[in-house]
Amino acid sequence: MKKRYDLLLFIAVTLLIAFGLLMIYSSSYIWADYKFNDPFKYVKMQSLFILTGFILMNIIRKIDYRIYYKKAGIIFGICLLFLILVLIPGIGSIRNGSRSWFGIGSFGIQPSEAAKLGIIIFTSRYLIIKQKKIKDIKKGLLPILLVTLLVFGLIMLQPDFGTGMILVISTIILLFIAGVKMKFFFILGALGALGIVIIILIAPYRIDRIISFIDPWSDPLGTGFQIIQSLYAIGPGGLLGMGLFNSRQKHFYLPEPQTDFIFSIISEELGIVGVLLIILLFGLILYSGIKIALNQKDLFAKYLAFGITFQIIIQAIMNLMVVIGLIPVTGVTLPFLSYGGSSLLISMISVGILLSISKYQE
Amino acid sequence: MFHGKINERIRLLFFIMIILFIFIFLRVSYIELVDYQKLKDLAEDLWSRNLPITADRGLILDRNGVVLADNITTTSLVLIPNQIKDKELVSISLSKILKVTKEEMDKHVYKKTSIERVHPEGRGLPYDIANQIESLKFDGVYLVKESKRYYPYNNLLSHVLGYVGIDNQGLSGVELLYDNYLMGEDGAIKYFSDAKGKKLALSEVYKAPLSGMNILLTIDYNIQKSLERELNNIVSMFNPDMALAIVMDPNNGEILAMSSRPDYDPNYYLDYSMEKLSRNLPIWASFEPGSTFKIITTAASVEEKIVDLETDTFYDAGSVIVDGRRIGCWKAGGHGHQTFLQVMENSCNPGFVKLGLTLGKERLFSYLDLFGFGEKTGIDLNGEATGIIFPLEKVKNLELATTSFGQGVSVTPIQQITAVSAVVNGGNLYKPFLVKGIAEGQTNSIIKQFQKELVRQTISPDTSATMRYALESVVARGGGRYAYIEDYRVGGKTGTAQKVQDGRYLINNYIMSFLAVVPANKPEAVLFLAIDNPKNTALLSSYTTAPIARRILLDIIEALNIEKQPNAIERVMQWDSEKYAVVPNVINKSVKEANKELFNFEVVYTGSGNRVIEQSPKAGTKLIEGSIVRLLLAD
Repeated sequence: MKKRYDLLLFIAVTLLIAFGLLMIYSSSYIWADYKFNDPFKYVKMQSLFILTGFILMNIIRKIDYRIYYKKAGIIFGICLLFLILVLIPGIGSIRNGSRSWFGIGSFGIQPSEAAKLGIIIFTSRYLIIKQKKIKDIKKGLLPILLVTLLVFGLIMLQPDFGTGMILVISTIILLFIAGVKMKFFFILGALGALGIVIIILIAPYRIDRIISFIDPWSDPLGTGFQIIQSLYAIGPGGLLGMGLFNSRQKHFYLPEPQTDFIFSIISEELGIVGVLLIILLFGLILYSGIKIALNQKDLFAKYLAFGITFQIIIQAIMNLMVVIGLIPVTGVTLPFLSYGGSSLLISMISVGILLSISKYQE
Repeated sequence: MFHGKINERIRLLFFIMIILFIFIFLRVSYIELVDYQKLKDLAEDLWSRNLPITADRGLILDRNGVVLADNITTTSLVLIPNQIKDKELVSISLSKILKVTKEEMDKHVYKKTSIERVHPEGRGLPYDIANQIESLKFDGVYLVKESKRYYPYNNLLSHVLGYVGIDNQGLSGVELLYDNYLMGEDGAIKYFSDAKGKKLALSEVYKAPLSGMNILLTIDYNIQKSLERELNNIVSMFNPDMALAIVMDPNNGEILAMSSRPDYDPNYYLDYSMEKLSRNLPIWASFEPGSTFKIITTAASVEEKIVDLETDTFYDAGSVIVDGRRIGCWKAGGHGHQTFLQVMENSCNPGFVKLGLTLGKERLFSYLDLFGFGEKTGIDLNGEATGIIFPLEKVKNLELATTSFGQGVSVTPIQQITAVSAVVNGGNLYKPFLVKGIAEGQTNSIIKQFQKELVRQTISPDTSATMRYALESVVARGGGRYAYIEDYRVGGKTGTAQKVQDGRYLINNYIMSFLAVVPANKPEAVLFLAIDNPKNTALLSSYTTAPIARRILLDIIEALNIEKQPNAIERVMQWDSEKYAVVPNVINKSVKEANKELFNFEVVYTGSGNRVIEQSPKAGTKLIEGSIVRLLLAD
């Protein structure tokens, strides 16, 4: 049964992106002027990404999603290849302390963003193939978990903890959806906790992040700096905010406010009203995405639609929780709103896939 | 069936995510509505930089509103190093204008701080310097108005007023004691800056400074001025070690005037030694009172009814033996037969020894306690001394005898005037005080008022009346006669005390004092005057202090508008031993003429010539006949 694609989802995403562009301008022009002598630097770049994104989204919207089922292996293989290549000095370049970029001129491409989508496609197909053995730990679960851990490991070599976490969580949640027994998740949870302990022991700077999360004022100029600056932006916002463009924290207090902490500036300038708008738009995306997933007869489409929706939403939730100090700083962007080409393009491609699935509803 | 279970788990996750969104929204709302003020305040501190504006210090006013401590507005240099674009240029320019080395200036200009006050070279800048800096129009270089303390009458009342430091903080006197009221609250120009310290184009907030509160003193400027003038005269005439005077309203303990020498100019307090600055002699100095103490002995005796001043008599043979020690009267040969009123008039020591011994040590010393000797009066100033009186168990007859005429005890001037005020006001010992009230700075409306405070009742009103009469009699007929003012019924008592050093009396080194009451029948003011070691003068206080006290009393009468009193005791001219004559003005006269006019003095010349260009003592001074008058001659 062929229908029209989901218009509500398209509108919600478009609104978020448009709103994001406005806020990127507001939060970045100070830094842009300071760094590049061009207050519109980030806006121009993002506009280009958005244009590209819409073109890609519309192309992908028209492509039959079943092609991903067939090409899942290749897609995933290319993702893995890039994840390995990016680690090689000379090919991958270092930005903000992580070797996670392919630099092409002033543009940068992050393969880990693509890997997030790649693993959802790969896992969705895997779950169809191993449908019968899914409850068998050795034959069903272990292989896919090992693959996920491999990807996670590659991303952690960059390192990019936030992206890695989203990738792992998305895979595990897909396993949960597919009907894996609860007992398995308890074991996995215990192992995960152990894993986190080990990761912290390997890189002690993460302890600082956790301490600064519990009490950011314990080291206000060091590890607690970002979260304090974020709260200084959110707090004075109040109900209606300070007014568009009137943020004070963007005046070099909050570093790179157009990226991970764009939400702080939004709540500073637009207050609770702005926050509510953003959460409602994400809520709409969640609602549309879940509706699409529920309405699919095709199991692959169901997994894929849910995986994509979940990944976007969990990333948004993680970003918001970081910004308001509920979880430690992990370094994930706010989908559609934060400045950044790779993140935006992958998000829009994901939505393109969702839209194409939405045409096949029961 | 299979799809159903999947959809069930999808829905479960959908709800979990919705709940997370709601939770996030509630958390943000909590931060923005509940933590709002706290975070806003913290953030404002982060964003804002303050250019301080000092508050005007409260004024200090006399009882009639004369401003004794004022403020002037000066300009200070403040730098905000982050806003300075060309630090090198600014440092060179400023060092030239302020005439300091560039290295000095670099320390300020390159300092890693949000706001740098250029101290001390940039404080209190004169107009032309400030103008030069202003005209350069450098970013980050600010001139802020700064209020500075100013004492318009310089030395007047200096020890009471005290002085303030460079940051307008009270360091001494009333300035220190009432610093919390006087200081006010500094204001600021608050502007917002980015994290690099640059000024943001956001609106500046002006927080007006809050002026301090005004302090209203009990001091009367006119009487104070009179004291200062006379003390200056005393210094130039007698070159004393110290000199001091207090005027008190005996009816409530208000200090009307208080001063001492050496003094200082609080505008330039740094030019004086700490000793000069800190010693407020009227409350700090402690010395043998001498004869003024006889007022207390007499009051005690009258109150205990052991003597009737007018009917009981005493024969003074010139000395009295107490426990084998001879105590002489100041008058060789003694005063002979006299009533006790005459004993008082003549200040006859043996007569007071008689009174003291009759009272006995318990009774006399209980009156010393009653009148507050040996304890601080509690005046609202720092640095008050306690004085020393004999411990009762060590008092033998000799100590009792000397105490009764004011030797062997050590008291402060403020104790004496407070005690004598009680003697003449009907017996009420009031706590002396200087601050009458505190008023709001802008409106001068009084917010706190200090009332008289009765310490205790000392003697009966009848005894007090008798004492007032006795004191008037001393001025009309006795040793205080040079303080006599026609129709104003002045009462008083002189005192000449030998100074003690290392347990021995110094020779020719006296503290001369005078205690006066005006008018004696219903006292409105009590004056205490003391000169420590006056040079070039007769050795009796009567001739030295009383004429000065008289001039002050005349000013007090005018300042307080005291009316003429009827029924004064008739003045008796007593040319008992020496004759006195007034020194005429001989300046600009020929040597011959001068010699003629100065017939009853011994004339000593200095310089050479035919014309007198300077004389000492000045014209109008009363001198014992035959005293030396020096003349400076020129052609």
